[in-house]
Amino acid sequence: MNVLSRGVRNAFRNKIRTFSIVVIVGLSVGMALAMLVARQAVTDKITSVKSSVGNTVSISPAGVRGFDGGGNALTAADIAKVSSLSHVTSVTQSLSDRLTTSDTDLESAVEAGALGQRFNRGSGTTGGDMPTPPAGDGTATDGTTATQSFTPPVTVIGATDPETALSTSQGGGTFTLTSGEVFAGDSSENVAVIGKGLAEKNSLTVGSTFQAYGQTIKVVAIYDAGNTFSNNQVIMPLNTVQTLSEQADAVTSATLNVDSIDNVASVSSAASSALGDTADVTNASEQAESAVAPLENIQTISLYSLIGALIAGAAIILLTMVMIVRERRREIGVIKAIGASNLNVMTQFASEAVTFTVLGAIIGIVFGLVAGNPITQLLVNNSASSTASAAGGPGMGGGQGMGGRGIGAVGRTVTNVTASVGVDIILYGLGVAILIAIVGSALASFFIAKVRPAEVMRAE
Amino acid sequence: MLQVENVKRSFKSGDITVSAVNDVSFTVPDGQFASIIGKSGSGKSTLLSLLGALDKPTSGSITIDGKDIAKMNDHALIGYRCQKIGFVFQSYNLVPNLTALENVMLPMEFAKVGKKERTDRAVKLLEQVGLTEDQMTRKPGKLSGGQQQRVSIARALANKPKLILADEPTGNLDSQTGKMVFDLLHNLAKSEDTTIVTVTHDLSIADKTDRTFQLQDGKLTEVK
Repeated sequence: MNVLSRGVRNAFRNKIRTFSIVVIVGLSVGMALAMLVARQAVTDKITSVKSSVGNTVSISPAGVRGFDGGGNALTAADIAKVSSLSHVTSVTQSLSDRLTTSDTDLESAVEAGALGQRFNRGSGTTGGDMPTPPAGDGTATDGTTATQSFTPPVTVIGATDPETALSTSQGGGTFTLTSGEVFAGDSSENVAVIGKGLAEKNSLTVGSTFQAYGQTIKVVAIYDAGNTFSNNQVIMPLNTVQTLSEQADAVTSATLNVDSIDNVASVSSAASSALGDTADVTNASEQAESAVAPLENIQTISLYSLIGALIAGAAIILLTMVMIVRERRREIGVIKAIGASNLNVMTQFASEAVTFTVLGAIIGIVFGLVAGNPITQLLVNNSASSTASAAGGPGMGGGQGMGGRGIGAVGRTVTNVTASVGVDIILYGLGVAILIAIVGSALASFFIAKVRPAEVMRAE
Repeated sequence: MLQVENVKRSFKSGDITVSAVNDVSFTVPDGQFASIIGKSGSGKSTLLSLLGALDKPTSGSITIDGKDIAKMNDHALIGYRCQKIGFVFQSYNLVPNLTALENVMLPMEFAKVGKKERTDRAVKLLEQVGLTEDQMTRKPGKLSGGQQQRVSIARALANKPKLILADEPTGNLDSQTGKMVFDLLHNLAKSEDTTIVTVTHDLSIADKTDRTFQLQDGKLTEVK
């Protein structure tokens, strides 16, 4: 038998006390683990939500969205201002334009249909009230008749990064190259990457040509965006579109790529300041921040609860060990008198404390395994509902317009948090137990060191 | 040889300095059995603490095997207590949750004696003091006072010390058991060539020792 095994054995000298201590420490460790599990699950979710939003800031001319609204395009000087901002790693730019039948020989892959006829009937007018919704045959319910000869235009996007150009268009979608190779971002050639629908409609393949702006444009690649609208578009080099459309230096959309999600808000703010009223600056991270706010509250709550549980566990062990040392003061004196060093005695008592806490940790780990996920869910649900109540809106989607819908979608995602207890959590549990034992034994060790072997004679 | 020269130990009690041991000098050669008698509060236990390196003298020297323990640092004193001193206490002071065998093995563990060697020696010592194999595996609470004191003596002898210090070793025992324990202590001291200094109230015990000192008001005088 050595000091360690003596310490383990000493832990069972008073079985009722040992049982009580182990249960209390077990609850403490269990609570700490449950909080750790909740914190880890919530942190993972926050990271996931934030990373899904992306590290980008979008800039468009003030008052313009796609081909709606009005205003002036951004200029090269504007782009230069935002390019030089701190934390901006790169800027992708695009210039959108529409090719009508007089500009191109391309035939749109999208039929006008009733909606197209309806949307086109007001083009060229200078205002007036919005008409009532159209009937199925293109005749509006207010009696106006849509222009029957309308053909949907083909959208051309001049881009510095053809693979992300679709994100700036109204159709969106995921750019998937089906054939050919995309052009370089700084190209000035008369080349184009065209959508799958447009290629099929006009029987174009890689290497084919078409006419636009009075020039012959060569198809270098074909993409599939996964939706009909985006597959009816043409992507060309920005320089080429600026030249051919006679809009030198004009940009209708710019995307700032930021070095970290944490800097998106500051870059967004700096870009707004730099561009003033000439541009609308938006970033999705603001929506994400609002959506994950309840989770961040849980992060904070779980951290404080974790620390509280640790302190409680350590305090229990500390007081227990101090009590035990006081109880065994005479025994410590005897052991020291027959040759034990302070280290021997401290090791023995630390071993006793570790025994208490490891047994407590086993109970705590079981508690954490069982209660980790329910506690996390409870925290998430309570936090989400209280946030919604405070906002006065229906659930997480209390906002208006696009932003509101965005928050709602992300909000529904963030409440779907699943906590799991892995090996790492179990190891954390044991680590917590050892930490509690060390902290809890510290004061006891001080008292042990203070016990003088001569006291054993005085007690005689 | 135990050599004590001009040892003083005083304590502060408020504004008063109390001399528990006052200029004590004596010598006990190896293998001798000496007793110290004195009234309660005469300083017997304080002197025993000083001899056992449990406390340090205010002045003077205590030399065992040519080494002055009054000049040793705390670390050296631990080694000294472990290797050179054996204690026998009035109330036995065995560790309650260890068996008799484990109690005797304990000082050898602190002296870093190998497990087999310390087990063998502990068994041998317990056999010498008259414990049966069954009694060796019992915890102190399951042994009689005399048996506990015999375990205590075996523990004191575990590391083959030069000096055994016994504080009222028969004080908690009936006269017959006390006599048996004293004889055991005496015989073992002779067989192991160990010096024994015992503090006692029992004059019949003191009479049987080789030398007897009387401590009165911190002053020591040899009476036999």
